[in-house]
Amino acid sequence: MTTFGAVVRHGRGWLPLIGLAALLDSAVTLALPTVLGRSVDAIASGNDSERWLGLAAGLILLGVVCALVDVLASTTCVAGTTAWLRHRLVRRVLEGGPEGVRRFDTGDLVSRVSGSASDAAQAGPATVTAVAAVIPPVGSLVLLALIDPWLAAAFLAGVLLVIAVLWVFARRTTEISLAYQETQGRIAALLTEALAGIRTIAAAGTAGQEERRVLGLLPELHRQGLLTWHVLARSGAQAAIVGPLVLVAVLAIGGLQLVDGRITAGELFAAAQYAVIGAGLGSLTGLLGELARARAGIRRSAEVLAVNPVAYGILSLPPGPGRLVYDDVSVVVDGVPLLDHVDLNLPGGATVAVVGPSGAGKSVLAALAGRLRDPDSGLVLLDGVPLQAVRRSVLRRAVGCAFERPVLVGRTVSESISGGRIAPVEVLAAARATHAHDYASRLPQGYHTPLPEAPMSGGEAQRLGLARAWHTGRLLVLDDATSSLDTATERQISRTLTEDRHRRTRLIVTHRASTAARADLVVWLDRGRVRAVGPHQRLWQDPSYREIFG
Amino acid sequence: MRRELGFGVAALRRRPALEFAAWSLPEILPTAVYGIAVAHATDAFLAGRGATGLAWLGGLVAAACLGAVGARQAYRRLGDLVEPFRDELVRRVVSGALRNAGRIDGAVSRLNRQVEIVRDTFAGLIVVTRTFTITVVGVVTGLLSLDPLIAALVVPPFLLGFAASLAILGLAADRMKASLSADEQLATSAGTAFAAVRDVTATGAEDFTANLVGEPVEAHAAAERALARVAALRTLCFAVGGWLPLLILLAAGPWLVGRGVSTGTLLGGLTYVLLGLQPALSTVMSALGDGGLRYVVTLGRILDTGAPAERPASICLPRGHQVRLHKVSFAYGPQAEPVLRSLDLVVPEGDHLTVVGPSGIGKSTLAALVCGMFPPTEGRLLVGRVSPHELSPEQLARTRVLIPQEAYVFSGTVLDNLSYLAPEAPVAHVNRAIEAVGAEALVARLGGPKASIRPGQLSAGERQLIALVRSYLSPAPLAVLDEATCHLDPEAERRAEEAFSARPGTLIVVAHRISSALRARRILVLDGNEAMVGRHTTLVRESPLYRDLLGHWQPRPDQIQPAS
Repeated sequence: MTTFGAVVRHGRGWLPLIGLAALLDSAVTLALPTVLGRSVDAIASGNDSERWLGLAAGLILLGVVCALVDVLASTTCVAGTTAWLRHRLVRRVLEGGPEGVRRFDTGDLVSRVSGSASDAAQAGPATVTAVAAVIPPVGSLVLLALIDPWLAAAFLAGVLLVIAVLWVFARRTTEISLAYQETQGRIAALLTEALAGIRTIAAAGTAGQEERRVLGLLPELHRQGLLTWHVLARSGAQAAIVGPLVLVAVLAIGGLQLVDGRITAGELFAAAQYAVIGAGLGSLTGLLGELARARAGIRRSAEVLAVNPVAYGILSLPPGPGRLVYDDVSVVVDGVPLLDHVDLNLPGGATVAVVGPSGAGKSVLAALAGRLRDPDSGLVLLDGVPLQAVRRSVLRRAVGCAFERPVLVGRTVSESISGGRIAPVEVLAAARATHAHDYASRLPQGYHTPLPEAPMSGGEAQRLGLARAWHTGRLLVLDDATSSLDTATERQISRTLTEDRHRRTRLIVTHRASTAARADLVVWLDRGRVRAVGPHQRLWQDPSYREIFG
Repeated sequence: MRRELGFGVAALRRRPALEFAAWSLPEILPTAVYGIAVAHATDAFLAGRGATGLAWLGGLVAAACLGAVGARQAYRRLGDLVEPFRDELVRRVVSGALRNAGRIDGAVSRLNRQVEIVRDTFAGLIVVTRTFTITVVGVVTGLLSLDPLIAALVVPPFLLGFAASLAILGLAADRMKASLSADEQLATSAGTAFAAVRDVTATGAEDFTANLVGEPVEAHAAAERALARVAALRTLCFAVGGWLPLLILLAAGPWLVGRGVSTGTLLGGLTYVLLGLQPALSTVMSALGDGGLRYVVTLGRILDTGAPAERPASICLPRGHQVRLHKVSFAYGPQAEPVLRSLDLVVPEGDHLTVVGPSGIGKSTLAALVCGMFPPTEGRLLVGRVSPHELSPEQLARTRVLIPQEAYVFSGTVLDNLSYLAPEAPVAHVNRAIEAVGAEALVARLGGPKASIRPGQLSAGERQLIALVRSYLSPAPLAVLDEATCHLDPEAERRAEEAFSARPGTLIVVAHRISSALRARRILVLDGNEAMVGRHTTLVRESPLYRDLLGHWQPRPDQIQPAS
């Protein structure tokens, strides 16, 4: 469980230093006005001035050192904690598997790693700094009262006035910036729409026309933008009067005390300084905001870290042909059975096609074979060993999956096939077998083209996805993985698959009759149940089987 | 950095800028009076003249009121400076995105977030510069009238610190850029990895992927630490510019008092440093170091992607619309294997040509070349005896119409969408086009030509129908359908293709289904290194690839007839 305390504890090496620096800095801030005031008094009276001057210089030096330590130590602490949290988050997401992270959007997860983690890492330094930051404003108020209680009263009255002005400003700004943001959003929506048709626009030479359409709202944005500055103008003017008022109030009250000889000139000066420091009370809300952000960041991180990693077993697979058995397997989601007591015994080395109308449970069946999800009841066994009991490295070498929409990972095209697991020679072999080689070799830098710079169609992505799974040992699961290929390429790949020299078991989810026809065995699924198992030619006699293929 | 600052300065309109500066003058008064008022008030209080002291303080409030009037007017002018600047940025982003088809990613983020960042930081820079100038002018004036000696002691170290903080700005900008780009890389690689959780699990690539994302995580941490060292330098600059004047003034105190400087004057000097110079320096340093850098970096990004290139209009106009390719090759990069190699092809006016071939073989590239979207790497490509790439977008649009796979529909009326390429088309023409392409049912369902539509409400097939009717209406005689019917069912596809075939002019179809080939007069079979063009009957005889493609479209007998 990741808590506020846990995150704070991670930076514990640095926190005492940060805390000490912050405390000393606060002490300096509080002491300085008095010391400066005394220095002036000493200079005026000609007594002891060197001692006070030395003290003032020492304090200032100490303050500068504290500020330096704070900047360096806080950043080092936060950077370290952020990286630590990010590594943990990334690892947990990847180990959680598709089922574990299903409830998070990709964008949401990214924002948790990039944003929330760095917010969360502020927890330690922010806590320490917040405690130390309370000292100067509160302390200065106390000191103000110690010099003279009336000074404190004058100060508080002034501060209330400032708060009132800020509050009115914040409220009016919110209203106006809301309208501004809405207009901005509408312009962005128009642009998004146009960008979706950018090829049409480029070909038709209508960029100018589109520009006018998208920018139609710009004058409105301009008007609303002007309004925000007008609000700022009014409150800026108010602040220009109200700000000095606090100080003048303190100076006036203090001046009258000076006339009466109750305080010295130095103390009057110190009082004015304390009034300014005391006004820093407002900036404390900023620190509280930072703490709240840190807490929210930790909560959002903890939600990800609470995902359970996929649990792998410790067994190896015995030698075998790749026999795949579904033993009374059911998968239920929200009370709806996706697979309903499925029993299948698929011979090793066979090509098995899985067909059925959409929603029949084909992909779930494939995901179970690839251990991308686990059955709610029953077992899936490969050569007699339940998949859940197999060690991760063994399982992933033995079973490979290719998908309808593969998502490729890696710095380069080559890495997207190898995934850091196989040698370049094998990458080339896999690419040739799946016809990804034609695509890859046409790229600007061939296999070394950075993945983001390699534009690809659905069919080309599918070929790379197939290549990635090509070196699987025992069982190849293809979930509609050739649907975007043109017919010729699809047939060539199918032939390579059928003539597979390694005699791996192939489980192929498909919509094409030709693929089913070439398979050794067809599993016909319907609403989560196995309707029939047999060769395509035999099933073809059933009119409702033929209906599946339209 | 110079480019961004220059861009900002150039965007300032003269009149509001002058008014802004003029209205800022009154605010110098309270700043200048501050220390003097404190000095004289303190001396008055010390001498027991309370009323005089209070009068000085009253004068300070009066000066503040005067300054406030100026501040209000000045801030109102701020909008006139900032909003036109923002408008210009929005225009640039939108126009850049729409005109540079290759640079559309991130355009919406540029429009929303980045433009706002630049707007805020630009305004921030103006305000801070103003405050800083007012303070320095005010304080120096005040100090000089208080005692020129004090000014001589205080101002030089202050300026030294300020200059030093300016000197490290370049370094800070580099570090900031490094940190931002590390952050972006992290987001990109985390995004790719998280979108691929299923694939990562399936391939057992958890460690590989974690390391892949781990690299930018560490890079970002390193960049942050490097940034902190710059912040430390900034702290030192502040020590020089903010604290050194104070220490010098104090150290010189006994000597000054010996020269007849009053306690009040000394306090006034301290007040100028503590309440005038120090806050001004710290504000300007954080504004330049933080907001200013964000301004430079963000604006730089917008300017980098913005600048649209206008294609000059060609002097030669196309004559007719015959398409002629002579030894045309095309590759996407100097190292890349060519997508098309030495292709010869003539498409006479009025022809109906279908292009077939395996996916990724260059069919869409050929369509784009013919339409003048980019020039061939080698060889000559002419449309109507001129090179299409050299024509202006308007001339091109009158010559050919390209209908891509992803159909464009925008928020507006059905009619707006249909007459997009032919705004002057009479209603009768529009109706005829709707009927010809087979979109009557769709238009009726949408509520007729006057009805408003939103692209999100339409299916991909419906959007393609709209795009087809629109292109049918285009004045261009050469129509190129690049898998433009892939989301239609075969029957709808047939009707649309036949409509285009009957339309006067040339039709080139990049086929999604092989059935498109059977409707064409001639067929181009692209097969990587070689191409063959001919009629169906010839190709069935001579092209193995064509037979192969065709064979898979026609169900094989063993698949239709049950094995008995």
